[in-house]
Amino acid sequence: MKAFLKKPQNVILLSLAFILVYLTVVPMITIILDTFTVHQSELMRVKGSKVGDLTLYHWGKVLFSSSSKKIFYEPFLNTLIVSLGTCFVAIGLGGLVAWLVTRTNIRFKGIISTLFIFPYIMPSWTLAMAWLNFFKNSRVGGAPGIFTALFGIETADWFAYGPFPIIVVLGLHYAPFAYILIGGILRNMDANLEEAALILKASRGKIMRKITIPIVLPAILSTFLLVFSSAMSAFAVPAFLGTSVRYQVLTTQMFRTLNGLNPGYGYIMALLMIGIGILILGVNQKIIGTRKSFTTITGKSSNIAYINLRNFKIPISVALIVFIGMVCILPLVTFAIESFIMEPGNYSWSNFTTLFWVGEGNPQIANGEPGILRNPTIFNGLWNSIRLSISVAFIAGSVGILAGYAIVKKKGTRLSTMVNNLAFFPYLMPSMAFGAIYLSMFAIKRGFIPSLYGSFALLVLVGAVKYLPFASRASVGAMHQLSNEIEEAGTIQGIGWTKRMLRIIIPIQKSSFISGYLLPFISSMRELSLFILLVTPSTRILTTMLFQYNEKGWSQYANAINLLIVLFVVGSSLIVNRVTGASIDKGIGGH
Amino acid sequence: MPEIRLKNLTKRFGKTIAVDNLDLVIQEGEFVTLLGPSGCGKTTTLRMIAGLETPSEGEIYIDETCVFSSEEGIDISPDKRNVGFLFQNYALWPHMTVYKNISFGLENLKWDKKKIKIRVEELLNMLRIAEYGDRYPSELSGGQQQRVAIARTLATGPKILFMDEPLSNLDAKLRMEMRTELKRLHMETDSTFVYVTHDQLEAMTLSTKICLLDEGLLQQFAPPLDIYHNPSNHFVADFVGSPNINILEARGNNVNLDEIKLDSGSLEFLFAPTTSSVNIRSNQKLLLGIRPEDIEITDKGDIQGKVYSTLPSGMETIVKIDVNNIILTCVVFGGVDFEMGTNVKIAFKSENNVLFDRVSKLNIASGRLM
Repeated sequence: MKAFLKKPQNVILLSLAFILVYLTVVPMITIILDTFTVHQSELMRVKGSKVGDLTLYHWGKVLFSSSSKKIFYEPFLNTLIVSLGTCFVAIGLGGLVAWLVTRTNIRFKGIISTLFIFPYIMPSWTLAMAWLNFFKNSRVGGAPGIFTALFGIETADWFAYGPFPIIVVLGLHYAPFAYILIGGILRNMDANLEEAALILKASRGKIMRKITIPIVLPAILSTFLLVFSSAMSAFAVPAFLGTSVRYQVLTTQMFRTLNGLNPGYGYIMALLMIGIGILILGVNQKIIGTRKSFTTITGKSSNIAYINLRNFKIPISVALIVFIGMVCILPLVTFAIESFIMEPGNYSWSNFTTLFWVGEGNPQIANGEPGILRNPTIFNGLWNSIRLSISVAFIAGSVGILAGYAIVKKKGTRLSTMVNNLAFFPYLMPSMAFGAIYLSMFAIKRGFIPSLYGSFALLVLVGAVKYLPFASRASVGAMHQLSNEIEEAGTIQGIGWTKRMLRIIIPIQKSSFISGYLLPFISSMRELSLFILLVTPSTRILTTMLFQYNEKGWSQYANAINLLIVLFVVGSSLIVNRVTGASIDKGIGGH
Repeated sequence: MPEIRLKNLTKRFGKTIAVDNLDLVIQEGEFVTLLGPSGCGKTTTLRMIAGLETPSEGEIYIDETCVFSSEEGIDISPDKRNVGFLFQNYALWPHMTVYKNISFGLENLKWDKKKIKIRVEELLNMLRIAEYGDRYPSELSGGQQQRVAIARTLATGPKILFMDEPLSNLDAKLRMEMRTELKRLHMETDSTFVYVTHDQLEAMTLSTKICLLDEGLLQQFAPPLDIYHNPSNHFVADFVGSPNINILEARGNNVNLDEIKLDSGSLEFLFAPTTSSVNIRSNQKLLLGIRPEDIEITDKGDIQGKVYSTLPSGMETIVKIDVNNIILTCVVFGGVDFEMGTNVKIAFKSENNVLFDRVSKLNIASGRLM
C-alpha cells in the first residue's frame, strides 16, 4: 500500500476517483432521489404527505398522466426531430467540406479550414440571432428582419421560427465538429486504399461506395452520435428560435420547469437525457470495437494524389468561400447593424444611432439603460465572464493534464478505466440539468463545503467539472503519443516527478495541453445554459445578460453584447492558435 | 519490343525537383529495380508510370501506346493502363475479408461468380493462404497480409506489375523468403516487374536490371553485376555493395605509357588500367575505389597493416585493417578470425579497382593495383 501511494499516478487516480465520484455520481443520486421526494410546493397535490416523503407523483405526472403529452412526450419528440435533423445537416455539410479539403484539389484550403471552424467557436445562438435579424417576420416577432426590409417579402412562419431554423442553425454550428472528426479520419486514411481500387479498374463512384465510405463509416457514426447528444442538450438555439411559436424541446421545457413550476419534472427530464447520453456512448464504443473497424496499417500516406475537380474547381471553391463567408462573417455584420438602429425593423439611414453603444441612457428607451460601452453592469458582466472562463480553464486544463497522465500511465487497470469514464461523464450531462443539479446540491451546507448558492465559486466549480472532458481527452490523446521511455529516461537520471512533468512531458506536448486549456476557456466564455440557473445579479456574466436583454426585447443591446462575445472568443482563440499552435480541433480529437 | 518507355520525364513538387529529365526503356519480361536513397524520386517515378501521380513534363509509353504526354495533353487514368500495383503498406481494405479483397478486381472486370471463385481459390492456394479466406486483414500477420496483397494484384493477371518497397515492412527472415518467391513469381507469371527499393541487396539479388537514382537524376541503368563492378560514378560505387567499397583520396600522374602513379599520402600505388588507357592531368585529384573482397590478407602481401577490428559471421569475416592511419575494410571468406592489434600483410588481387575523378566523381578507368 505504501509502495502504491509512492507513485504519483496512483495518488492522482485515487484522489480524482474520490473527487469525481463526489462531483458527478453523488449529484446524480441526489437528483434521482429528488424525483421521488415530496417538496413543499406539492404538499397540496400529494394528499396526506409531508415534505421529504417518498412518492411516485413526479414520474407518474411526467410519463403517465393526461398532461404528460404536453409536459414530456411532445418536447421529447421535438428533441428527437431536431437532433436527427441537426445530425444530417452537420454531417452532410461537414463531411462534404472535409472530403473536398482532404481529397480534392480545391482552392483556398487554408482559408476554408480556418473559417469553417468559426461557427463552432462562436456561441451557438449567434447564428440563431443572425437568423432572427435576417428572417424574423412581423407576424410573430414584432419588427421584421433585414430580409423583409430589403426585398419586401414577408418570410413564412415555418421558415422564421420553429424546427426548420433550429435544425439549420444547430446543423451549421456542429458542422465544423463533423468536419474536424471526419477530416481527421480522411487525412489519416491511407490514400493507397483508394488507389489500389482505382488500379483494379473500379470507377470513382464505386470507390466512394465500396472503399471510402465503408472505411470512414465508423467515424461518421460516432460523429453522428456525438452531434446527436450535443444537439439534444442544446438550449439557447431552440430557446431563441422556438419559444415564440411555442415549439418546446426537452431543454427549453426543463428550463421552464426548473425555473418555476416543478423542479421534479425537470430532474426527470434531465435523467432521461443522461440515460440517452449513456446509451449513445455505449453504442459508440461498440462501433469502435468491431473487428472490421478502421485499423491503422502502418505505412506512409503522404503520397496523396488529389482528385482533380477540373472545370468545377473554381466554381466549387468560390461557392464554398461565399457560403462560409455568409455563415461566418455575415452574422457579425447583422449584429453590428442591429446594434446601431434606433427603431428595430427600420433600416433607413436616419434611424441609425450610436445610443446603444455610447449613449448615456434615455429614460424613454429600455428603462434608461446606458450604452454598453459606458454601462458599469456590462463591464461587470464582462469581467465576470473573463475571470470565470480563466478560472474554469485553469482548473479543468490542469486537472485534465494530471488525469490524462495518470490514466495513460495506468492504462488497463480498473482504476484508470473508472477515472477515464468519470472524467468523460460530465460530457453526457445536458448543461442545463448539470446546472440544476449543482444548484440543488450546493444550495445548502454540505460537510465542510459551505452553501455555495449565489457564489462565484459555484460557477467556477460547475464549469470546471463540465469542461473537464475536453481537457482530459486532449491530454489522454497527447499522452498516448508520448513513449513511456521518454519519462523513464528522466526517472533513471533521478529527476523528481514534478520536474519530469514540468521540464519533460508538458513541454513536449505543449500544444495539445494548451488546447486542453483553450477549449474550456472558449466554452465557458460562450456558455449560457450551464450557468443560467446559477447566476445571481452580482455574478451575472455576459451570456446571461444577453439572454435577459433578449427576453426583454431590447435586441440592440443583445446584438451589441453578442458582437462583443464573438469578437472576444474568436480573437482569443486565434491569438492562442498563432502564439502556441494549440487549436480547438486538437481538443476535439482531430489532427 | 519495349514495354515501358519514359521520355524526358520530370516531376516538380513546388520548387523541388523529384524526378529530373528521366529517360528509360524497360523491355518486356524484365525485372527492373528503381534503387536509391530515400527521397531520390524512385517511388514518384513508379507512381507516374502507374498514373497515380501526374508528371510535370515528359512522355510515358506503355506497350507502344502513349499514356502520358505533357505536350499533347494525354493523361490516361490508372485503371486504363492495364497494370498491377503492390503498395508498400499493402493497402488491404480493412472492411473486406481476404476473399473479397482478392475478388474485387475481378468483379470490376465483370467476371461471373463461378469463374471468380475458381480464380480466387487458385490464388489462395498458390500463395498458401487458403485457410484465411474469411478473415479480415487486421486478423492476419504482416507476412500473410503481404501474400494477400500479392494475390490481389495478381488476380487480374496484369502483364506489368509495379511494386513499391513491398518487403520493407517484413522482418529479416520473412524478407529473405519473400525475395525467393518474388523471383519465382516473375518467372512463372512471365510479366514485366518494376520494383522500388532502397535496399541495394534486394536490388542486386532480384533484378535483371537496376536503375539507380539520386536526387531525381539517373545515375546508372545496367544489370546488377555491371553496376557492381563498373559503377559509372562514385555515388553508385558507394551505394552498391555491403560492406561498403573502400575509397581512398589520391593524386595521380601518368607514368610508363599507360600506367598511373597514385599517391594517397601514406600509401603509393601503381594503377594499370584494364579498360583503355587514360590521360590525366598531372597531380589530378582522384578517388580510388577498392571492393572489400578484393583485398587479400596474405603473408605474400607487400603492404603492412594492423588488425583494427573483426566481425566474424561464420560464413565470412569482415576485417578492418589500419594501414598508416587509413582504415581499409576487407572480407575474408570462411570461418576465420583474427586477433585485434596483430600485424598482417595485405595484397590487392583484382582487376576491378575503380578510379574516379574527385571533382566530377565520374568513373575514369578500372584496373589492377601494383
